[in-house]
Amino acid sequence: MRYLTVGRPESQRRDLLIAVGLAFLSLFIAGMSPDSRLAITRVVRSTVLAPFLGAHRVFARSAELSDLVAQLEMERERLAVEVLQSANLELENRQLRIIAGLPDRRAADFAVGEITAGAPETGVSHTFLFRTRSGIEPLTPAGISTPQGLLGVLRTTDGGSGLGEFWTHPDFRVGVRTPDGSTTGILRAYSPEAGETLMLLDGIPFQTNLAAGTLLETSGEGGVHPPGVPVGHVVREEDSRSGWSHSYLVAPVVRPGQARIGLVWLVRSLLESDPGEGTVDRDDPARDDSPTGTAPAGPGD
Amino acid sequence: MDVERSAWAWSLAGIVALLVMHFLLRPLLVQLPVAPNLLIGALLLATLRLRSGHAAALGFGLGILEASMALEGMGSYALALTAVGYLGARSRDLLFADARFYVVAYLFVGTWLAEIVLLLLGTTSPGPVRLVAGSGLDALLTAALCGGLEALTASLAARQV
Repeated sequence: MRYLTVGRPESQRRDLLIAVGLAFLSLFIAGMSPDSRLAITRVVRSTVLAPFLGAHRVFARSAELSDLVAQLEMERERLAVEVLQSANLELENRQLRIIAGLPDRRAADFAVGEITAGAPETGVSHTFLFRTRSGIEPLTPAGISTPQGLLGVLRTTDGGSGLGEFWTHPDFRVGVRTPDGSTTGILRAYSPEAGETLMLLDGIPFQTNLAAGTLLETSGEGGVHPPGVPVGHVVREEDSRSGWSHSYLVAPVVRPGQARIGLVWLVRSLLESDPGEGTVDRDDPARDDSPTGTAPAGPGD
Repeated sequence: MDVERSAWAWSLAGIVALLVMHFLLRPLLVQLPVAPNLLIGALLLATLRLRSGHAAALGFGLGILEASMALEGMGSYALALTAVGYLGARSRDLLFADARFYVVAYLFVGTWLAEIVLLLLGTTSPGPVRLVAGSGLDALLTAALCGGLEALTASLAARQV
């Protein structure tokens, strides 16, 4: 068997130029905005990779179909019970609001979409592709959750689909509070030396103690996530800066691999319908959603 | 049909089969702790027969495809596989002897180095064990599988002629 041997010097120079040009093009792509990278990804996934992605979907659906049906049945039963239990709640809420002189309760607006997690060669994926079934284009960044709890944040959208990051992404931050609002803090992903990625609640005042099992939910500050979405449960204290603050390890409610359907919060509709109520800072280019303002009312109100 | 053309045709069929298998089985392969990297294997086999500029272009294209599948690291995948394509073809030019052992060694070393670079460029910190031992085992499997395929296509080409 014979393989190619060294070419003529001028051809070698041309090959080197091609390689250097492609290397610069790669660096240019790396520096492109997420919107532009999303456009390339969409073109590639809808053309060359379309048959493979279709085959993946077929395999996955057929492998999980029976489990999915059982899960849907369980969810339907549970929802039916919840609807029955809350039959009088809306009427009661309306009456109380009239007595208290409050305006009508605003329903939170969400768009449902399909989540396709990325699949890197190593480790878990931190990014996902989100495709709304209604074609609605949410204002980004926008929080994504499942009915169980927080999943991540949608970073960029284009024509009904978008790229987002799971809460496991190193840049992800979310403002949280305890259900009674007594403690607030900022959560981020935390990878211990071994084991699954958890969350870390940072900057809790030294005199505040959180019991193991305490539920943490989104505070809504920053306007990226609606308030009241469950995020995780406190596991234990992780670190303490004597006399100053301490941090807690938090077990997430939702793991990225569990989610196939996501709910993206349409904060735009709230802003357009009631711009005067609630100050939402959407122009902050920072990648986290650390507290920058007062969030609009959401499902928890 | 002469030997060279027949060998190239069979080798091309093998490379395409490897790429199809890679993208088809990818959801399964990424879940395994140790798995052959068919993408890099196919690229390295292609670099055996392509000019270095063409190998770099192939690496760039495969990098874009891989990043679109993984949904992350588009620039870094393209850059790393461009370098693998170019350096693979250049090192073949400089070092290669036409013996089967060298093909397997070339596949092993090439895959190992490429995997280490891709792991370092990824968003997940791989840890030293995964970085060295995990990628080494991946490279071993890749070299065995792709080396076997190269031997098979060569013998098929020889038989056809």
